[in-house]
Amino acid sequence: MESMSRTRAAGVAVALVAVVGLVLTGCSQRSNDGAPDNGQSAIGFPETQLQPPVPGKPGGTFRFALVEPTAIDPYNAQESEGVLVTHNLFTELVSVDANGKVSPAAANSWTPNGDCSQWTFDLKQGTTFHNGEPVDAAAFKRGWERAAAKSAASDVAYHMNEIQGFDAMQTGTANALAGVNAGNPGQLVVTLARADCEFYLRTYQTVFSPVPTTAGAADNQSYNDQPIGNGPFMMDGPWQHNRGIRLKRFESYTAGPKANLDAVEITIVPGGQGAVQAEYDGFVNGTFDWARLPTPLLTRARSSYEPRGEWLSKKTNGINYLLPMVTTVPLNNVPARQAVSLAINRAAISQGVFQGSATPADSFVPPVFPEAYQPGVCTVCSYDPQRAKQLAQQAGLTPGSTINFQFNTGGGHEEWTAAVAQELKDNLGLNVNYNGVPFVDLLKNEQAPGASGLFRSAWSADYPTPGNYLQPLLSTAAIGTTDPSRPVTGDNRGRYSNPAFDQLLAQAAATKDDAARTKLYQQAEQIAIGQDLAEIPLWFRQAYRLADTQQFGNVNLDFSENPTLAQITVK
Amino acid sequence: MTHPSRTGDVPAVTGIPVEAALPTAGSQTATTTGPPRHPPGQFKDIWRRYRRNKLAMVGLLIVAILVVTAIIGPYVTPYDAFDQNLLDTTAPPSPQHLLGTDVLGRDMFSALVYGVRLAMIVALSTVALSLVLGVTLGAIAGFHGKASDTAIMRTTDIFLAFPLLVGAIVVVRAAGPGVWPVIVALALFSWATSARLMRGQALALRESEYVEAARSIGAGNRRIIVRHILPNAIAPVFVYAFTSIGVVVVALASLSYLGIGVPPNVPEWGRLISQSVQFLRVPGKTHLWLSPAVAICVTTLAFALVADGLRDALDPKLRGAG
Amino acid sequence: MGTFILRRGVQAVLVLLVATLVIFLATFALGDPFASTGEKVVPPQVQAINRAKFGLDKPLPIQYLTYLGNLVHLDFGIDFDQRRQVSSMLAETLPNTIRLALVAILIDVLIGVVAGVIAAVKRYSFWDVLVTVLSTLAIGIPTFVIGIVLVGFVSGSWIFPVVPRSFTVQVPWYQEVLLPAFTLAIIDAAFIARLMRGSMLEVLRSDYIRTARAKGLSERTVIGKHAMRNSMIPVVTYVGISLGILLGGAIITETIFQYNGIGYLLARAIQNSNVPVIIAVVVVSVLIFVLLSLVVDILYAFLDPRIRLD
Repeated sequence: MESMSRTRAAGVAVALVAVVGLVLTGCSQRSNDGAPDNGQSAIGFPETQLQPPVPGKPGGTFRFALVEPTAIDPYNAQESEGVLVTHNLFTELVSVDANGKVSPAAANSWTPNGDCSQWTFDLKQGTTFHNGEPVDAAAFKRGWERAAAKSAASDVAYHMNEIQGFDAMQTGTANALAGVNAGNPGQLVVTLARADCEFYLRTYQTVFSPVPTTAGAADNQSYNDQPIGNGPFMMDGPWQHNRGIRLKRFESYTAGPKANLDAVEITIVPGGQGAVQAEYDGFVNGTFDWARLPTPLLTRARSSYEPRGEWLSKKTNGINYLLPMVTTVPLNNVPARQAVSLAINRAAISQGVFQGSATPADSFVPPVFPEAYQPGVCTVCSYDPQRAKQLAQQAGLTPGSTINFQFNTGGGHEEWTAAVAQELKDNLGLNVNYNGVPFVDLLKNEQAPGASGLFRSAWSADYPTPGNYLQPLLSTAAIGTTDPSRPVTGDNRGRYSNPAFDQLLAQAAATKDDAARTKLYQQAEQIAIGQDLAEIPLWFRQAYRLADTQQFGNVNLDFSENPTLAQITVK
Repeated sequence: MTHPSRTGDVPAVTGIPVEAALPTAGSQTATTTGPPRHPPGQFKDIWRRYRRNKLAMVGLLIVAILVVTAIIGPYVTPYDAFDQNLLDTTAPPSPQHLLGTDVLGRDMFSALVYGVRLAMIVALSTVALSLVLGVTLGAIAGFHGKASDTAIMRTTDIFLAFPLLVGAIVVVRAAGPGVWPVIVALALFSWATSARLMRGQALALRESEYVEAARSIGAGNRRIIVRHILPNAIAPVFVYAFTSIGVVVVALASLSYLGIGVPPNVPEWGRLISQSVQFLRVPGKTHLWLSPAVAICVTTLAFALVADGLRDALDPKLRGAG
Repeated sequence: MGTFILRRGVQAVLVLLVATLVIFLATFALGDPFASTGEKVVPPQVQAINRAKFGLDKPLPIQYLTYLGNLVHLDFGIDFDQRRQVSSMLAETLPNTIRLALVAILIDVLIGVVAGVIAAVKRYSFWDVLVTVLSTLAIGIPTFVIGIVLVGFVSGSWIFPVVPRSFTVQVPWYQEVLLPAFTLAIIDAAFIARLMRGSMLEVLRSDYIRTARAKGLSERTVIGKHAMRNSMIPVVTYVGISLGILLGGAIITETIFQYNGIGYLLARAIQNSNVPVIIAVVVVSVLIFVLLSLVVDILYAFLDPRIRLD
């Protein structure tokens, strides 16, 4: 009996506490807004100036970290880690500098015929592979065919899809690329199945590397782990999987200036978000000479490393955006997409989540292409909740209506997407169906017929041309299907289609003159972004790095955000 | 014979060795000591013994607070746990925000309180679900024996041998993110231990005198299981279940830490920690990961203390053992 | 004994078969492994070539039987990502995991048994309360929290190597293994301490201990020889099973500590839907687990003659 009454007493006490709690808080919750008085810093970190060039001298070992690549053999090198290593082991026909400018590499020059359907590359004479084999036209043909073969099952061979005979190799009906003629050792003649005045840009892809006869077929494991290339660096022992890769200077390099560094030491760190932290920790503890930074540390690191000149900041080839599904409710009309864009406070999210490091985008083609960049071509990339509400009303995107918003997990997108979801809810009263899924699922959901709403996206160009932003993502051909009940097979997963836009792109592909072509691309962007808002630009891609500039000179970010290894020198 | 779970480092629901939780577990001990009987009249005795244990009472108090918080907490917190303020992220504790704000500027205290609710829902549902499954199958296996015993025990083998993490990822991927897939995944990989425990008890009880007595007066199998075996065997299983609540809380946090399970905008404790890992060595940001970590520890500790006290109270003979 | 081992052997093979089938089917829930490389979409034609290369264009039962056939020869196939022999990946990582597991077990048995014995012998003393509280607390701290705190604040000091470090820096294996092993050991040590304390208390009350004391044997002999041996039985079970788990790889701990074991291998494989690796690691860990359960059961019979296996 006694225990019973005690229990009851305890129950009453708990209830009392609860009631008092309710009374004290007045049954209502405070609104969580207002900023602390520490002043707002400017949004978007400025780019750092290029380091003044230092005369090179041989010596030194440059150390940094990478996540384990899929491959460093050109036939299948794909993500930036693998491409970084492969680009230093191999020299392709052309080279691309930090600003996307193309210059001669293994080829001295290249010339298209009248309609850009045939290209002739004049090769540099006397250059060799690391094993002494000559690099001639046959070596390029060999490398390309090795990757294009069906048995190679290369994930990146599709970059060659314009070359005549490529399809036959992929289906296994041919053993040679009919469109590549290596009859003259000093001259590579490439015939295209589809004319393209920008074809030469593609040959910077690592899959276009030459290989020596010893490479064998694509599944040659020993070559996969220790590729013999024609680049400024060569393998110093085989790739130690999940441990590291060591490169050393190729002493007989003649395709360009010889490297200065004795060696490059690449330590492999676990992937995911931990990788960036590991790079940073390694830079701080003196293990690495080059590192990315975790977002929370950007401001602190910048203030301590920028005065010492060890802070690198560069706008790079890439854009972060929201992919709207433009053929399905609710984003199948322009005002609805504009409302969404205007409801997102890019600057506030940059400040709150990215420490002010993310630069809000006002175009789709990023400023890394200075000739093509059109500031403000996206007229609704600013924050204007009032106008957003009006447009939403007009578009039938009324408060309470549901919108899907998906992103991929594990890529560090959790925080800012949660912020975007909240703003759509707060500013437009939308019921946001916010969902994080693995990347493969995100892709499947974007491709699926009837997909609707918004998807988190990012893009960086494979080839240094504005066209590589517009054509694959927005052209009708890149949907891959005309049937709305079938999944998208190309990269245009929003199913945007505008004949005027397609027309301009076709014209651009047939235009030899760079300036004229750029003009056409600009007009195309005016239509797809300025007028139709077929993608919702959020932030320009900008890379931040720490680099040991006390010890090394000429350390800069290249076009793919990698260190310019071939130029780095000890001071 | 009992098995902790197959997880390596995700502390598993099944991760509690039954021996550690219960001195009476396993058929060999059960046969020597005999099953304790707890007719309803004895609840007063149990409570009296439980009350004597100060640590257990502290545990009970915390559990009571947690349960009340889970029920009414989200309504009485100063802020909405989901309400972001991008202008004031990762703020240190202040009068406005008692525990500071998280990486999205959400009030940390409100987020933690919401986390209590989530943890309680997941833990209680998971344990209830796995208990129903485990007790039923364990009783069938132990009492019927023969083919059903072999089949059920080999099934538990498979579930115990299968890595929980891989299993959970697959279940959650197949079912989509959310609280229920997590509950189902955790329950699916935790019923096996209670089934084995129940089987051991049922095996021992099957041969006991009073079951024989019941059988001799003509009671059917079903009646014997429901009326005689279950009530007597359930106490140790129940204690085990209580112990595993803390483990489920940790498992939930571990899954969210890996980005599996509840959507990332939900202020779940493990998620609060994983989004703050990058601040680990940033001075002045300790609250970001420390407060959710403390919340997890306090919760599991409280449930473990209650389970310990309950075990001792249920079995006076073995008081202090284990 | 012979029939017991045979029967359990057959059962073990069955468990292994079913587990293989389950993981084989389960990997389909992980999504299409060939849909993308990084964040770029792979053209459908290339996806088709890849599927054909890896035999995924064949009917499911054929795929499964082919896999089993190869498995008999310890051929785990070629992985989807790097296209290397999965068996060579296992060979690189499994020894590291074994090392980590053994050191972790050593640490947790040492801590757990000592703490448990002290707590039982000095029952209700300060030490007993300390062990109870610490062991309860230890069970409540998630392993990942212990891991990130140790990496954050302990790595790089004293003999613990810096994380990260250059791959060219050779660190003695025991230095590398110590912190992750400790991280893994904490929870097990807590369980073992509780287990040891309970079973020791039970044994101390038993008739034969009373007899031993009555015979005039010293307390040291009674505790050290008679009581210890008999109270180790549940600990042995627990350690056996726990070892089985640890040998299956510790996904979180290995990843946090940048430790190249099969747990880390599995974590990466799950990330990029590298099905052959996922299946291989699960099969290996199930196999180890099943084998160790068998060993434990046999060991059990030797330790406690009252238990008959048949």
